[in-house]
Amino acid sequence: MAVGKYGKGIEKAINVLIKFGNTFGAEKLIKITSAHAMPKEPPELLLEFSEGLIGVPVLTTLHPLMSVFSPDKYKEMGIKNDFAQEELPICKKRAEMHQKLGFNRTYSCLPFLAGNIPRPGESISWIGSCAQIFANSYLGARTNRDGTIINLCSAITGRTPYCGLHLDENRYAKLLVKFDGIDFDNVTDSDIGAIGYYIGAIAMNRNVVFDGIPRDYGIDKLKYLMAPLSTSGSVSICHVVGITPEAPDLQTALGGKKPEEVVTVGPREMLATKQEFMGTFKNKVDLVIIGCPHTTIEEIKGIAWLLNGKRIGKNQRLWIGTGEQNYQLAKIMGYANIIEKAGGVISSTCMATIPDSPLPEDVRVIKTNSYKAAHYIESFQKGKVSVIIDDLANCIKSAITGDVEVI
Amino acid sequence: MEFKGRVINNGKTEGLAVVLDTPFSFIGDIDPNTGELTMHGNSQAGVSLADKILVFPTGKGGTIAPFIAYQAQKNGKAPRAILCDQAEPITAECAMTIDIPMMDSFSVELTKTIKTGDKIKIDTDKGCIEIVR
Repeated sequence: MAVGKYGKGIEKAINVLIKFGNTFGAEKLIKITSAHAMPKEPPELLLEFSEGLIGVPVLTTLHPLMSVFSPDKYKEMGIKNDFAQEELPICKKRAEMHQKLGFNRTYSCLPFLAGNIPRPGESISWIGSCAQIFANSYLGARTNRDGTIINLCSAITGRTPYCGLHLDENRYAKLLVKFDGIDFDNVTDSDIGAIGYYIGAIAMNRNVVFDGIPRDYGIDKLKYLMAPLSTSGSVSICHVVGITPEAPDLQTALGGKKPEEVVTVGPREMLATKQEFMGTFKNKVDLVIIGCPHTTIEEIKGIAWLLNGKRIGKNQRLWIGTGEQNYQLAKIMGYANIIEKAGGVISSTCMATIPDSPLPEDVRVIKTNSYKAAHYIESFQKGKVSVIIDDLANCIKSAITGDVEVI
Repeated sequence: MEFKGRVINNGKTEGLAVVLDTPFSFIGDIDPNTGELTMHGNSQAGVSLADKILVFPTGKGGTIAPFIAYQAQKNGKAPRAILCDQAEPITAECAMTIDIPMMDSFSVELTKTIKTGDKIKIDTDKGCIEIVR
């Protein structure tokens, strides 16, 4: 590969991996079984690195477009037409290239919802801090916090540097989180998110283990716990005892060692964190955002149930993010029809709207159930909008009435 | 004055330094169309990083940075080289993507040794940089 036998693109890609691996102490490159890539490459760059490539050698799914802009839904979303006209040709060009090279156009930040499901212990290269923490912590597969070029080169060559989280010794937990007085059978999605957001800021880039989460917690709940860990911090792996494949018990998650730090979370910490996103403008809610990380089909079902026979306020907008495959299923199940009839928009874009956020100009107050979305929208919009966090059911009520406070 | 460091990406170049005292990311801290430093609250905001030797303590921020670095280079607005006190992987990815020389881990704290406007020569074959005053 490194001497051009398989084409110039692969030669270039493998040499980036070799150089990177040498710098960061990888003794070799290893094969990966799955990739998840960012569909936001400058087209010339993709052309350069895929020269001579027939198609990607491993199952490769695509992340959302890293913007709320959707080529299919921008009109319903109220995104400016001149912005859209600038973006459309480049989106089309990228989509054509991805299609030709076999990058699956799933456009989801949770690739396993679209069938990209590596087994525990498999080495992979996934992009997106959320996908990365889920791969490591929920599936037990192994990915580093790769940036977009190492990730692209890994997808193109099917290889990645053997360093960091691909090695056992770098995967053990350092920070232990315990709970005191939290009733996990009666907490909301935004309560769980508050725990993740609080711990992420303490953990920074350290591996975390949560001890005391019920074993019947599924992806609908765990995603609200895990996503904020790589928002307020840069956590790449969080063991949940009894759920993470590498954490059948606490001792195993810690690698038999003592934790560096122990943090106890109770209702007080949860409440204090929730108060960080209470909104600063006393107006009506203009926009409700659900789907960061992307909604599962069960959540879409729940939203459809809440919206059945109702209508979103005349001056309100409701955006729901989910991957393409889930959207198709929501259509088949009739959920999409209910939501769209009520005035909601379902889009496979990124609801955290990074890095560019062409929000409609009338949007001043946003409500969401996601700490990740709240964090990024506030920081990228620099005071132009105010973000309020509430649980999913209350978010939908606000979309209907426009009221900030709902009962 | 010569200083030895670790080579992250090869190359030989020279140019004028822009030294930042806070962590830098290609996302949000540089406008890839103009090459200007857009770092919020930095006294050098507005300075062009195009063709400069960019010196900062360490990198930070999101994984999409290599694509932004690539755009800056295609517009002719990328730095000519990167020098860090301690590099992190994403900045290394950026330098490798646009293939500009990058070094770190010097015997001195570089961000306190080099001043904005200093002329810097970099030769990664020798594994060292030279400050020409």
